[in-house]
Amino acid sequence: MLYPSLPTGRAGGVPPFFLFRRGFALAAMLLSSLTSLGQVAALKATTPPKNPAPRTAQPKPASAAAVRGHTTVDFAKGFTISYVPGGKVVTILSPFEQKTTATRYLLVPRGAARPAGYADAIVIETPIRTLVGLSSMHVALIDFLGAADVLVGLGSLKYASAPRVRQRIAAGKIMEAGQGKELHNEQLIAQHPDLVMATGWPGEGLTRYQTLQAAGVPVMLNSEWVESTPLARAEWVKVVAALLNKEDLVNQKFGQVVREYQRLAALGHRAAKKPSVVVGLPFKDVWYVPDADSYMAQFLRDAGTTYHWDKTKSPQGSLALSFEAVAPVALAADYWLQTGTATTKTEIAAQDARYAAFAPFKTGRLYNNNRRTNAQGSNDYWESGAVRPDLVLSDLIRILHPELLPTWRLYYYQQVK
Amino acid sequence: MRPSQLLAAPPTPVAGSRRPAWLLALAGLVLLGFVLDIALGPVRIPVMAVIKILLGQAVDNSAWTFIVREIRLPKALTAVAVGSGLAVSGLQMQTLFRNPLAGPSVLGLTAGAGLGVAAVMLAGGSVANSFAIRALGVGGSWSLVLAATAGAALVMALVLALSARVRDNVVLLIVGLMIASVTGAIVSLWQYFSAPEQIQEYLLWTFGSLGGVVGSHLAVLATVVGVGLVLAFASAKPLNALLLGENYARSMGLVVGRSRTLIIASTSLLAGAITAFCGPIGFVGIAVPHLTRALLRTADHRLLLPGSCLAGAALTLACDCVTQLPGSQISLPLSVVTSLLGAPVVLWVVLRRQNIRSSLS
Amino acid sequence: MPLPSFAPLLTAADLVVGYTAKKTPRPVAGPLQLHLWPGELVCLLGPNGAGKSTLLRTLAGLQPPLSGQLVMGGTALAALSAPERARQLSIVLTDRIDAGNLTVLELVRLGRHPHTGWLGGLSAHDEAQVQAALVATGTEAFAPRPVGELSDGERQKVLLARALAQDTPVVLLDEPTAHLDLPNRVALMRLLHGLARQTGKAILLSTHELDLALQAADRIWLLPAEGALRTGTPEDLVLSGSFAAAFAREGLAFDPATGTFALHAPTGPAVQLVGDGAAAFWTRRALEREGFVPTTALANLRVTAPHAAQPTWVSQAAGQPPQAHTTVEDLLQALKQLTVT
Repeated sequence: MLYPSLPTGRAGGVPPFFLFRRGFALAAMLLSSLTSLGQVAALKATTPPKNPAPRTAQPKPASAAAVRGHTTVDFAKGFTISYVPGGKVVTILSPFEQKTTATRYLLVPRGAARPAGYADAIVIETPIRTLVGLSSMHVALIDFLGAADVLVGLGSLKYASAPRVRQRIAAGKIMEAGQGKELHNEQLIAQHPDLVMATGWPGEGLTRYQTLQAAGVPVMLNSEWVESTPLARAEWVKVVAALLNKEDLVNQKFGQVVREYQRLAALGHRAAKKPSVVVGLPFKDVWYVPDADSYMAQFLRDAGTTYHWDKTKSPQGSLALSFEAVAPVALAADYWLQTGTATTKTEIAAQDARYAAFAPFKTGRLYNNNRRTNAQGSNDYWESGAVRPDLVLSDLIRILHPELLPTWRLYYYQQVK
Repeated sequence: MRPSQLLAAPPTPVAGSRRPAWLLALAGLVLLGFVLDIALGPVRIPVMAVIKILLGQAVDNSAWTFIVREIRLPKALTAVAVGSGLAVSGLQMQTLFRNPLAGPSVLGLTAGAGLGVAAVMLAGGSVANSFAIRALGVGGSWSLVLAATAGAALVMALVLALSARVRDNVVLLIVGLMIASVTGAIVSLWQYFSAPEQIQEYLLWTFGSLGGVVGSHLAVLATVVGVGLVLAFASAKPLNALLLGENYARSMGLVVGRSRTLIIASTSLLAGAITAFCGPIGFVGIAVPHLTRALLRTADHRLLLPGSCLAGAALTLACDCVTQLPGSQISLPLSVVTSLLGAPVVLWVVLRRQNIRSSLS
Repeated sequence: MPLPSFAPLLTAADLVVGYTAKKTPRPVAGPLQLHLWPGELVCLLGPNGAGKSTLLRTLAGLQPPLSGQLVMGGTALAALSAPERARQLSIVLTDRIDAGNLTVLELVRLGRHPHTGWLGGLSAHDEAQVQAALVATGTEAFAPRPVGELSDGERQKVLLARALAQDTPVVLLDEPTAHLDLPNRVALMRLLHGLARQTGKAILLSTHELDLALQAADRIWLLPAEGALRTGTPEDLVLSGSFAAAFAREGLAFDPATGTFALHAPTGPAVQLVGDGAAAFWTRRALEREGFVPTTALANLRVTAPHAAQPTWVSQAAGQPPQAHTTVEDLLQALKQLTVT
C-alpha cells in the first residue's frame, strides 16, 4: 500500500526530536503549497474559458504558519472555531436558513473558570475524556486523530470499521446508544459521557436531546454531511481536534490531506480527456443523481470528468430524475460509478435487464465503492472515506485516468465484474 | 289481459344501440392514449422518429431507439394491463359487495402484497443476502415480485376459505378491512425499527410505478392479467344475476358460492399481479367503474366489463402521460396522479347522482 | 303450457320448516302436507310469527327444510341442480332492489337467466318471452325507463314480469302487496288471479290482505300460530270456523257473516235494527262502534234505517215517542242520551 503515511502526533509538549521533524514538515508544506499555487495559477492561465477555475478553496497562506494550539476553518461552512480568552467557541451553523441559526459551544479547560459572556452557549469541558458518537462518521473523526480510546458509545455497533474501534467493541468497552427515537437515554445518562455527538439536519434544533442536556450531558449536533465539497466535509475533524486540544496534530494531518487532495485535483483538472460518468443505481423509474452542489459532484470535477448535471442545482442535494432522462447519458457514458449494493454484473442485470444496454456495462467500466465492507455490512467508504477525500480522489483518478496514477491500488472502489 | 295481448306493441328500441358506439369510442381513446404516452416524455423525441422506431426502422439517435423501445413502449403496455385489470376487478368488487366504494383493494390483497414486500425490504433489510429467495437463485427484481405475490396469495387463500363459510358479503368486506389493518400495523412496526434508507425504499414502492416492468416481467404480467380478464368476462352473467341480490340470483339458478369463488379468484389474480409488479395504485379500481356506468348508462356487465377494461386503460395511459410532465426531468409517482384525478371523478359522480345506491347499477 | 289438471306441480310431504340456530334445529311449522295444482292462485295466510315467510322461503329453495321432502314434477327438489330448479320455480320477494339504473327491459330480461347460455345472450324465443311477460303485466310502456323512476306498484309489476319471463310452472310471491296502496293491491290480486287461470301456472303468495285473499284465491293455506296447517277453498275454511280459530285472540273475533273482524267489543244494550241494504249495513257498523249489539229480535231500543218511503233514521226507545234523524251522527247522539237516562 503505497500511500503517503501521515506522522502520528501527540498533543501537549514537543520534545526537540519532533521539533526537527516539525520544522522540516513546515518547510515542506510551504514549498508544496507554493508549487501547487503556481500550478493552479498556470492552470488558470491556460485553461480555456469553458472550464472555469477549480472550485477548491485555497487555504490562506498565513495559516501555514498557524498559531500553536490554534486551528482555522478554511473550507467548511458549517462551523467556526474562535479562540477567546479562557476557552474556545465552536459555532455550528445551519447553512440552509436565511438567518443563520447557530448553536454555540463554549469549550472550557477542565477546572478553569468559565469566561464571561456567551450565556447561550453550551459548556463542554476540554479535553473530553469520553465521547458518544451516534454516526459512523464520528468514528472516523475520532480515529483520524488517533483518539479511538475516547469513544465509549456508538449509535449502532454495526456501523464501525476502524480496527481500533472494532477491538474496543469486541472488548465490550463501547455501548450501543441507539438512534433517533430509540436513543437509550437512561443508559447514556448513567454513562455520563463528556459529550454526545449527534447528526441532524440544519434547523432541527436540540429538542430531541433535551433529556440528556437536562441531565448535564452536552450534545453537539453536527451537520458535516451537508457540506458541499469533500474537503469541507473532512475538515470537521477540526471540531473534534478542538474538543481534544489536538489542534497541532490536526493541522498537520489535515494539512497533509489537503495538500494531497489538491495535488490530485490539479492532476484531474489538467487531464486531457474528461470521460463522461453516470452515478448511482435507479429504482424502478426514479434515478437519484448528485446535483451540482453535492460533494460527489465536486469529486467528479476534481477527478476530471464530464458530468451531465454539473450545473443543475437542487435544494435536496440530489436530483430525482426519471429513468428516461438519465438513460441517454447512461447509454453513452464512459464509466458507471456507485452501483448500489450490487457486486457483480449479474446482480445488476438481474435488477433490470435494460441496464445491460448501457455502454459502461458492456465495456466493463463499472465501479462500486463497496470494496471495504466488513462482515457486519458496514462500508468504510462512509466512515474513513469521509475524512480521507484524498484516498477517494486517488481511487477516482486511478479509475478514470489510469495513466495518471499507474501504481495506485484501489482502496475504496472495486470493479464490478 | 287478452285485449292488450292483441294490441301488443312492438319492442321499444332501446338506447342500447348507442352503446357499442361508445365502446368503439373508448377503444379509440385507448389507442390515442397509447400513442401519446409513447410520444411524450422528459426527452423530446419528434413524433415521426417515434413512429419510425415503432415500425422497426433505424433512427439516427440510438438513445431514442432505446428510450422508445425499452422504456416507453413497455411502460405504455404496462399501463394498459394495469388500467384494464384494476378497473375490471374494481367493477367486480362493487357488484359483488353491492358497495359503490369497493375497489380491488377491499379484500385486503394490496395490503397483503405490501406485507410481502415489506418483509423483504424492511425485515430482511441488509441481510437480504441470506434471504431464502436468493438461495433459490432468484435475485434482484424477481424477489420483490415473488414476495408481493406470496403476500397477496396468502390473503386470497384466507378470503376464499372464509367466503365458503360465510353467507353474507358484508362479513367478507369487514374481513378485508381487518386484514388491511393488521398488515398495515405489522409494516409500521417494521418501519419503526428500520434504517431511513430502507424506509425510503419501501415508501418509493408504495407510490406505485409503471416503470421497470420489462422483458420477462411484462410477459408474466400480461399473461396473468389476461387470464384474470378472461375469468372476469366469464363472470359477466353471474354478475348480472347478482345485481338483484343473492336471493334473486339463487332463484334464477346461480350457484352463488361458485360464482363468488370465480369472482374472487379473478380479482385476486388481477389485483395481486398488478400490485406485485407495480406497487399499490389507487383509485383506478374505484373511479373507472362509476365513469363507465355513467358513460354507457347500463348495468349489463356484458357491456360494462369491456367498457371498464377500455376506460381503465385509457385513464391509466392518461395519468401516465401526466406523470411524465413532458419537458420536465422529474416524474411524479403514479398513485398520486391517479388519486388527484380519481377523487374528483368520484365526487362528481356521487354528487350528480345524489342517490348513491342507485349509482351502483 | 298447462299440465294435466290433476297432477300437482309441487308436493310437500312431511315437510318441517324452521331454522338452525347454533347447530340446534328450531322448527317453526310442520310436518306439512301440501300440494300446488296448476292454474290455481293459492294464498298463504296466518298471523304474524306463524312461519309464513319461513315456509315460503323453504319452498323457494332459499332455505333448506329441516326435514321432509319437496317434489317438483316428479323429481325431488333437492336433487335438482340450481339451474334446473330455476326453470321450475320463480319468486318475487320483498327485498329492496338497489338497481336504480337498470331499465325495466333489462330487469325483465334477467328472468331468462336459467334459459340462456354461458354469456347470457338472449335468443329470439327469449325476447318473445320477455315481451309476453311485459304485456301480461301491462308494463310494456315502461320498458325503456329505469326501475328507480317507477312507483311502488309499477315496480312490483315489473318484478312479477321478471318472474313470468323466467317461464316456470310455479311462481312464489312473498307479501307482494306489502307496500302498495289499495287500488294497486286490488289490481295486483286481480292480475295474479287472471294469470293463474290463463297460463296454467300455480301461483302461491303470502299476504296479510285477508279481504282480497278471500276473494281472489282459489285455495287458501291457513297457517295458525299453533295447530296444523289447513288448506281448502276460502269459503270452506270460513264456514267451518277454521278461519276464526286461526286468528282467534283475546278480544278478536271473526264474523263469518260479513267476512270481517269485529273491531269493537259490545258494551251496551241490544238495539233492534230494522231495514236492509246499504243503509242498514252501515247503520249496523255505526251501532257496533258505539258498543251496541244490533239484532233483528225485539229490544228496548229500536232503530229503523232509511228507505225509499222514509228517508230518515228513526229511533225509538220503549214507551217513548219515535224521533227522526237526518244523519247517523244525530242518531248516535240521541241513542247515547237515551242510554244514559
